[in-house]
Formats: sequence, structure tokens, C-alpha cells
Amino acid sequence: MELMIIHSKEKLTVLQQQGWSEKDILFEMTCDRTTDGHFLDTYLVLTRHELLIATSLKEPDEEKTYKGYALPVKNNGRQDEQAGEWSVQTMKIGEIESVFIVNLVASGMLVMKAPEERIIAAFTNGLMTKASRLAAIFTKLKQQEELDSELLEDEGEGASCPKCGRIYPEEGREICPKCMKKSALFVRLLSFAKPYKVSVLVVIVLMLLNSATGLVIPYLTGTALFDQALKGEGYFAGQIGLVILLVIVFRTLSLLFGVLFGIINAKMAANIVFDLKSVIFTAMQRLSLNFFQRKQTGQLMTRVNNDSAELQMFFIDGLSYFIVNAMNIIGITVILLVLDWKLTLMCLLPLPIVVVLVRKVFPKLWRLSWRRHRRVSAMNSIISDSIKGVRVVKAFGMEQKEMERFQRANVNFSGSEQNYNRLSGTIFPVLNVLTQMGGMLIWAFGGWMILGGEISFGLVLTFVNYMYMLYGPVEFMNNIVGWWSHCMTASQRIFEIQDANPDVKEKEDAIRIPVMKGEIQVSNVVFGYEPNKSILKDVTLQVKAGQMLGVVGHSGAGKSTLVNLISRLYDVNEGAISIDGINVKDLAAESLRSNIGIVSQDVYVFSGSIAENIAYANPDCRVMDIVHAAKIANAHDFIEKLPDGYDTLVGTAGYNLSGGEKQRLSIARAILHNPKILILDEATASLDTETELQIQEALDKLIKGRTTIAIAHRLSTLRNADYLVVMDQGKVVEEGTHETLMSAEGAYYKLVKKHDEALKMSEVISA
Amino acid sequence: MISSTTEKETAAAKAMELLEEEVAAGSLSDAADIHYLTKDNARFHKTEGKMLAVTVGEETHPVVYVHCSFPHTNKPMYLSVRTVENKEIGMIHSLEDFPEETAQLLEEQLQIRYFTPEISKVVTVKEEFGYSYWEAETTAGLCRFTVRSGGGNAKLVTPVRLLVTDVDGNRFVIPDMNKLTDKEYRMVELCM
Repeated sequence: MELMIIHSKEKLTVLQQQGWSEKDILFEMTCDRTTDGHFLDTYLVLTRHELLIATSLKEPDEEKTYKGYALPVKNNGRQDEQAGEWSVQTMKIGEIESVFIVNLVASGMLVMKAPEERIIAAFTNGLMTKASRLAAIFTKLKQQEELDSELLEDEGEGASCPKCGRIYPEEGREICPKCMKKSALFVRLLSFAKPYKVSVLVVIVLMLLNSATGLVIPYLTGTALFDQALKGEGYFAGQIGLVILLVIVFRTLSLLFGVLFGIINAKMAANIVFDLKSVIFTAMQRLSLNFFQRKQTGQLMTRVNNDSAELQMFFIDGLSYFIVNAMNIIGITVILLVLDWKLTLMCLLPLPIVVVLVRKVFPKLWRLSWRRHRRVSAMNSIISDSIKGVRVVKAFGMEQKEMERFQRANVNFSGSEQNYNRLSGTIFPVLNVLTQMGGMLIWAFGGWMILGGEISFGLVLTFVNYMYMLYGPVEFMNNIVGWWSHCMTASQRIFEIQDANPDVKEKEDAIRIPVMKGEIQVSNVVFGYEPNKSILKDVTLQVKAGQMLGVVGHSGAGKSTLVNLISRLYDVNEGAISIDGINVKDLAAESLRSNIGIVSQDVYVFSGSIAENIAYANPDCRVMDIVHAAKIANAHDFIEKLPDGYDTLVGTAGYNLSGGEKQRLSIARAILHNPKILILDEATASLDTETELQIQEALDKLIKGRTTIAIAHRLSTLRNADYLVVMDQGKVVEEGTHETLMSAEGAYYKLVKKHDEALKMSEVISA
Repeated sequence: MISSTTEKETAAAKAMELLEEEVAAGSLSDAADIHYLTKDNARFHKTEGKMLAVTVGEETHPVVYVHCSFPHTNKPMYLSVRTVENKEIGMIHSLEDFPEETAQLLEEQLQIRYFTPEISKVVTVKEEFGYSYWEAETTAGLCRFTVRSGGGNAKLVTPVRLLVTDVDGNRFVIPDMNKLTDKEYRMVELCM
């Protein structure tokens, strides 16, 4: 075991005063809150024989920095802290019956039983994982079990950015959003354009040609036309026709280049966004179930759609325009300065006012638009509420109230809409006038100079035209800050998915078993979806190949969780699950999936035809197989009754199947999949008795020759089971055959009795 | 969201009315069959291990926890006294019904369970790349925390009360958005 290093001098002193040394320590943690709403440290240390509880006697801390917030980098050496008094208590492990965690709202509390329950310390949510490890280690010590090295190891939780000391906000993703080089993000984003670098190059060249040809025109329509052609001096003297012709030629060229780059650019950007979307989608499919359960589905859908749209802007409007606009600004300014530097300065005069105004007003405008957006969403959710819930609204006669509710949201929205429009309606005309002002100033000043004979009329005209060309790019540059941060946020979110590590990983040298025998061994499994909330506690069971195991228990007993673990949608926290003698962690995902079929209570029907749905796991199967599978699943008859038969479109916007019909489709799907191990997870729970009987018949056909684990709270489903396991609160409380369990008169017996009573009751009701 | 909280409030008010008219509206409360703890039928005391114990009739429950039914809209009303296994021992209609000493004991339990620093002053909120970084003065001192943007991590639980949840699930609350200064409001609003 590695030596525990205590980084705080103060805590080390506490240990030394007790005569403890670093090598004795199994685990240590610092709980950070008091029970009366303040922050104060309680230091807990566990050795093989003792628990030390040191409570700081200092005043409560006046500051607290939670995970993820930037802090100066802590040096790895021992820190000098202000030494404070500690109230230290040590207890022999023998004196303590148990240590456990009480979940509070957004925090937790360690409690010990010795033999009366008492509070050890309270902590904020970030320490939950650590605290549950402390409790787990304690339990092992108490039961004198071997300690897993996994339990003692620091899992790198709270790993922090080496640069700024900020703890990574997302576990398992070692990227600090603060220090992540924005340039790196940019480069990574650019890498999506790499396959299209020829197009990018062509686009940029075309754009430059477009602006170059555009830049000639003001000179032609100004100086060349008025000062040379019309005045009859200089290069174009008297050649009005030529000048006009040149203007037309350059305009056409400019237009052509513009159209051409627009076409190529649009195609390229669409391709890049296509790539981006498939990258996100592929990355998402790779991730474990856990990831999807933590994030809201809507949020993920937004990511695929909106974020990639945002990035489309980056590639279409951003990248190439940025380069060209920058060139334009430089080019025009140089031309203007060469033509006349005094006039140039003159026309730049209103520019600072424009910039200041934009800086001042635009954040406010953005805020107002955000507020408007929020109110629109609030209003939309009311509309969707009352449409989706129209039956409830009508049943309770609440139409009036719904109208009032909508009215309130509507008033709120229209208020914010008005505010936004008022401001945007004011600021944009003002900005317009200001930009025009530059032109006015040149006309005035330039006119005065013409009268003085200092410059010519054509020059002034050229000047004004160039100046107008300048404002577009300047405005673009002004918006670029907001636009840039939007793009970076979107790309950061997209890369977050791409970088996320699946919790359930396939080993590199995973074992492949094309056809399994189907022997399942679950040994001492402990598992919880969240730290400290164990759903399964020390579950052990065995299913022989070809046998049917029935799992019974109340809802919440952990039955479905067991299924998730066997099919390795999640990994166990402790213990092991093996199939045919091989740990599922060592098995290739492909072998697992092809050998395990699940029919569960919530059935999902994909958009597509019935035939496609049945053939979901096996798209290359013969049509005949689809029909046979449907027949076995008792689905054939209802499908034949539909006007479009097996071609009936179902799913979103398709034909509405009833619960029983969907269930039969999913059974047909499983039949066609032909797995060695079949898991029936409450497959008939939501159906009425009649339909259940039909489906039961279908299931009986399906079960033959497979290892089956059937989970049910309706005991009739399990009448064919070879062996039964009764679960309660995450534990196996009873197991055996139906007969042995009935004669034992235990939990199973009680369940059966209750079930019978319920059946009798329903008979009475239906009679 | 606004109306759902007001509905909650009215639900609470209605429940109270019902309690007052217990005789007249007997049917609903009969059906609910909630056991109310009063100063006459329950005795609370603190154990040596600083836990809350309650004696109801003959039976003593050595460790109980106090849950709020309306933690945001009506904290001291309708408290549920439960064991760690989430079995309800009984409900308390209002803290005011108990002598001050007991009320304080129960209040302490609420402090333990609902640890939510109340933000009194927002120092800065800076949003960057999908996270907002908050620094705020709270009832528990100066707190700095990180909130993931979007996904309802800062949401109004009543028309004026904002609940903020950080990346670890720690909770902070702004009790009254209207009491924020303009500058504070502007910073907070962008994270909602």
C-alpha cells in the first residue's frame, strides 16, 4: 500500500500529538460544514484499529471555495497554515458498531452507532464520494474483510488543472475550461475544415478577388470619371465610354467572384457541419447509459442541432469573412490615407463615438434580448402545457384559469419585447446617422476644399464611396467579440461530448464468445447509481445454462438494477458478475449484446415501419423471419389487420400502437435477435390481464432453450421458473424452488398469499 | 413556473383551511389519516449524540429527522418528522404550536437538513464557456462556486426566490431577487 501523505502541517501535528504516523493511516478526509449552517473543518482519520475525529475549535471560516472555482495553485509541499486548536477524540473500531451516511438536502452527514447514534461530521455535496468511501472502508474493517486497493486509492477525484488550480468541473474529463487554450480550441475547430482545405483556399482567393475588384470601382466612378474623363485630363481623358465599360466589367467580375465563393462556401460549410454532427452523434452513441441519465435529453438534442448550427456560422460567416474584412479594412484605410490623409482623419471622426456607443448599448441590448427569450420560453411552456394537458384542463373546468395564466406570461413577454424593440429601434437609426455623418463631414469639408481648389470633386466622391465601404467591415469587427465567444462556447460543448469518457469501457483485449452457453454467476455485488445510495447490497445468485430464474420483490427492491448490471449497462461497484465463467468486464461488448436480449416494460418503438422495428437488431434477416417472429410473438394477427400490414409506419407521427401491441413488437424483436440469455424485465407489468395472457403465451415460446431471467411482481408470470429469488431492499432474502419456498412460509409465501388475495378481489369486482 | 409556485402556496393555504375546518371537511383529512404531532402528544429531546429523538405516546424514536413540506414557500409549516428509513412518525402543523425550546430544537434540525447558504450580496458572476463562476456573500460567509450554464441550474422556485445549484449539487439561494441592486440583478439574470 502506498504511504498516505498528509499535506497540511496542522493536521500532521494533530496526528503526531496522538502518536500516529502517516504509515498507519488508511484513509483521511476533511468534512467542511457544521450542523448550524457554517463552514468549519472536522478532520477524520481511519487506521486499522482506530478512528480519529478532530474538530476545529476555530471560528467558522468566512470563506469557502467550492469545486471548479479558480484558485491559485497549491504547492504540493506541506502548507503552513495558521495553527488552531482542535478538539481531538479517538475511538477504537471495536467500540463503534457502524458508520453510515445520512443524505441531507444537497449535503450529507456521517453518523456512527456506538451504540447510540451520534453525528460525526457534516459535509457539502462535493465530499459525498469520499465520505461514502470512508463508510465502506469502515464496514470492511469492522467485518475484518480484505480491503480492495481500489477503495483505498485516490481515484484522482478532485483532480485539478495544473495551471490554475481549478478543479475540473466534469469528472473524468481533464480539461479546464478556463485554461484550455482558446487558440487550441480554435485550432481543433479548424481541423474540421482540414479535409476541405482546397475549398477553403479557393474561397479565400475568390473573396479577395471579389473585394479587390470591388475596391477599384469607387476610384473609377470618382476620380477616373469626374477628374479625368469629364475634365479631359490624365490617363482617362475624354474616355467616358471606357470608364463606364470598366466599371461594368469590374462590377460583373466582383459579382461573379461573389456568387462563386458563396456557392463553394455554402457547400463546404454544410459538409463541415455534417461532419460535426456525425462526430457528436457517434460520440454520444459510444457513451454509457449513465451519461444520458445525467443530462437532460432536450439539452443533448440542442447540442446536436443548435451548437452545430452555431458552428456553421463560424465556418460560413465567420472564418472567411473575417479574413476578407480584415484585408478590406487595411486595404481601404491605406487607399484613403494615400488619397488624402486629412480627409481620412476627418471621416474617422465619428468612429470613436460609434465604438463607444456600441460598447455601451450592445450589452444592454443583449440582456434585453435574453430576457425576451426567457419569457418566450415561459410562454411556450404554458401553451404546450395546456395543449398536452387539455383533458385535465377540461375535466377540471379550468379553461378560464389557463387563460389567465397565459395572459400573465403574455403580458410579461410583450413588456420585454417592447423594451427590446424600443432600445433596438433607437440605437440602430442613431448608429446609422452617425455612420452617415462621416460622409456628411467629408462632403462639407471636402466641398470647402474643392472651393478652395485644394482637391477635385472626383476625389471627394471616391473618398465618400470608399468610406461607405469601410463601415461594413468595421461593424463586422465590432460584433466579432460576441460572435467569437458564442462559437467557442458551442465548440467547447461539442468537444465536451467528444472527450467524455464512457464509464463502462471495453477492455482492449476483450474476450469474444460468439455463442454463449448462458451460465450466469453474480457474486457479492454491491452497486448504486450515486455514491452512498446502494441499490444492491451483497447480491449473490446463480443461473445455470438453459434455466429460468424468477426474481420477485416489491418495486424498488433492485430487480431492474440487477438486469442493468448483467447486461453491463453499468459496472458493479464491488463484487463481480460472470457469464460462462468470464467476468463481464472482460467480455467484448459485441459478444454481450449479441447474446443478451432484453424485453422490458417500457418499450420504445422507433420511427419506421413495423418490419424495420422487428428487424432492428438484425436488419439483414429474411422477410420470412420477420413474419415468423411476429407470429411467435402473437403480433402477426394484429399486424395483418392493419391496412398497411408490416409496412405500417409507426413511431413519431406514425400509427399509434397500443401498449400491448408495442410489447408484442418488442418480443418479436427479441425473438429475431435470438439471444442465448433472455431477460424479461416486468415485460407484462403494464398490460391488462387479457393481453398479458396472450403475451405470456408468446413469452413461453420464446423462453425455450435459453437462459432466462424473469423479473416480475405479478407472480403468475413466473409459474415456469426453475428457481426463484426474492429480493427486498437490494438484498436477496430468500431463494429456492416454488415448492421449497412455499413450504418455508417466508417472504415468498407471503407474496403469493397477497397475490392470491388480490386475484380473488379482482374476481369479485369483475363478477 | 411562476404559477406552479403560487399554486403550491394556495395548496398550502388550502390545506391549512382544511385543518381548521377539520370537523366540517373531515372526509379528506380522514382519508389522508396524517398523524399530527402536537405539544400534548409528542415530546422532542436531544440525545447525547446530538440527534433528535421524539417520544410519541409510549414509543420513543431515538433518531428522527425533520423534513420541510414547503422548503421554499413556507418553511416553518407542515414539517414531517421521519426516521432515517423514511417512515413518517407524524407531521407538525406549525413550529409556533410548540414551546420555544422545542421549536428551537426542531429549527436546529432544519438547519442540518437544509444547508443552503442564502446569498446576501452578489460580488461577481462571470460566465465563460458554458460555466458561470460566482462569488457571493452568504449567510455562511463568502462563497465561490461554479455553476454549469443552462439545464435549470439557476431557477426561480417562487416568483422572487432563485435557487442556484453548483456543479456538485450544492445549493445556494437568493431569497428575493427584487432586493438585488441593478448591477447584481444584471449579472444574475444572464445565468437564468
